[in-house]
Amino acid sequence: MAEHLLGCGYEVVSLDRNRPCAGAGPVLFIQCELGSRSELDRVMPEVIEAGPYDLVLLNTGINATGAFETVSSESHQQILRVNAEAPMVMASRLLTERAFTPSAALVFVSSLSFFTGYPGAASYAASKDALSAYAASMRKTAKARGISITTAYPGPIRTDHAERHAPAGADATRRMDPGLVARLIIADAVGGRKTSIPGGANRVFALIGRIAPKPVTALMRRGIYVRLK
Amino acid sequence: MIGATRRRILITGGNTGLGLALAKKLSGRHQILLSGRKSQAEVAGTLPPGAGYVVADHADPERSVQTLIAGIRDLGWDRLDNAVLNAGTGMMAHDGLDTVSAIRETLDVNLVATILQAQALFPLLAKARGTLTLIGSVAHKGSANVPAYAASKAGLHGFARALRSEWSGRVSVQVLHPGPSKTGMHAKAGYEPGRIRALFLDADDVAAMMASAIAARRSPVTISWIRYFNGGAFTGRKL
Repeated sequence: MAEHLLGCGYEVVSLDRNRPCAGAGPVLFIQCELGSRSELDRVMPEVIEAGPYDLVLLNTGINATGAFETVSSESHQQILRVNAEAPMVMASRLLTERAFTPSAALVFVSSLSFFTGYPGAASYAASKDALSAYAASMRKTAKARGISITTAYPGPIRTDHAERHAPAGADATRRMDPGLVARLIIADAVGGRKTSIPGGANRVFALIGRIAPKPVTALMRRGIYVRLK
Repeated sequence: MIGATRRRILITGGNTGLGLALAKKLSGRHQILLSGRKSQAEVAGTLPPGAGYVVADHADPERSVQTLIAGIRDLGWDRLDNAVLNAGTGMMAHDGLDTVSAIRETLDVNLVATILQAQALFPLLAKARGTLTLIGSVAHKGSANVPAYAASKAGLHGFARALRSEWSGRVSVQVLHPGPSKTGMHAKAGYEPGRIRALFLDADDVAAMMASAIAARRSPVTISWIRYFNGGAFTGRKL
C-alpha cells in the first residue's frame, strides 16, 4: 500500500513494528508494537502531529491458526489487541483530534472471513468482525466531519503472513497479488465506497456467504480447519 | 438429554439484568454458579436460593478466568453442562466517539474475557458434551450510539460462527442476540431511553426465550419482539 501511495505522489506515514523495506521510498516511520497499549498511547501524539491526513489505512493484522483450544491465550489476546483494539483506538483518537483534511478517507481493513466464517482462526474472525461493526458504527460520525469510511474485506493475499497461516500444500497461486489488492482498496476508498472486496471471485464468495452462511462456513472448515490439524 | 436431568450451569454477569433473570428461571431445576463484579455482601439476598456465586471482574480477563475455574472446582464440579457467558458492559459514546478507555474496557469485558473463558472452560464442557452460549446483542451489526459495544458483540458473533464449526460434535456453541430489554443496562451505559423504554421486552420474557434457545442449541438466535409474538417466551424447548 505504501509503495502504491508513494507512486501516486502521496507523502506516507507508516506506523508499524518494522521499518518498511528500503525500496518503498521516503516514508516517515513511527515505530510501534501495536499490541502494546502503552506504546500506542506514547506514539499517538506524534501520529496526530504528522497529519492532517487525506487517507488513513488501518491495515494492521496478525493471525494464529489451529484448533482454538490449542492456541495460547496470549496469542488470542494479542490478535484481538492488534487487529481490533488498536485500529479502533487510532480511529477514535484521529477523529477526536480532527487529524484529517476535508473530504478525507478512512479505511478499516477487515477480512473476507466476515462473510465466510473462519474455523481454525476463531479469535482472528472475532477481531475482523468487530472491526467491521465498528466501521459501520462510525460512518455517521465520520460523515458529519466530511470523512468517508470504507471497510475492506480482502481474501487470501500472496504474502508471508498468508503462507504462514495457510494449511500445508495450499495453492499459493490462488492468492491475490498484494499490489493489486492495495490498488483496488485505495481506489474504492478514494472513490468514497462503503465496502471494498478486491477480486471477482472474492465478491462471489462473499455473496454466497451472505446468502448461505452455514454451508460456506462448513466449506471453510473442510478447506482450512481440517487440513490445519 | 436436555430437560431430563439436573444440569450444572455457569452464568457470568449473573447478579443483575438478563443473567439474574435467567438464573432465577433455571435455579429451581438445575445447579447454578453465578459470577459478577459485585461483592458477596452486595449480592446477599438478591440471588436465587441455592445458587453459588464468585466475584469475577471481567475487566481483568485473565484473572476472571482463574476465578471462574476456581469457583467451579470449589463446588466439586468436574464437568459443565452449560456455560452462559453473559457478562457485558457498554458505554454511550458522546458525539459518536468512544474514549480510548471505553474502547479498551468494553473489548476486555465483552470480548477478550469471553474468549479466554471459552478456552478455559472447554475441557469441562467437552466432558459433558455441553453447550457454550455467548450473549451478543442486536447491536452487533453496528450502532452509532455505542460503537465499541457493537464491535465487541460483532466479535462474539464471528467468534461463535468459527468456534461452532470447530467444536462441532464435542461442544455446542451458540450466540444469542437479545434486543433491548428492561434492565439497568441502558442507565449504566449513560443512555436514558425515555418513553422508548416502554417498547423494551421484560427481562423475564427475554430470559425465558434465552432458556429455550439454549435448549435448542441453534445459532445465531435473535431474541426480539418477533420471537415473543410467536410465543417464544411460553413455548419451545425446556432447559
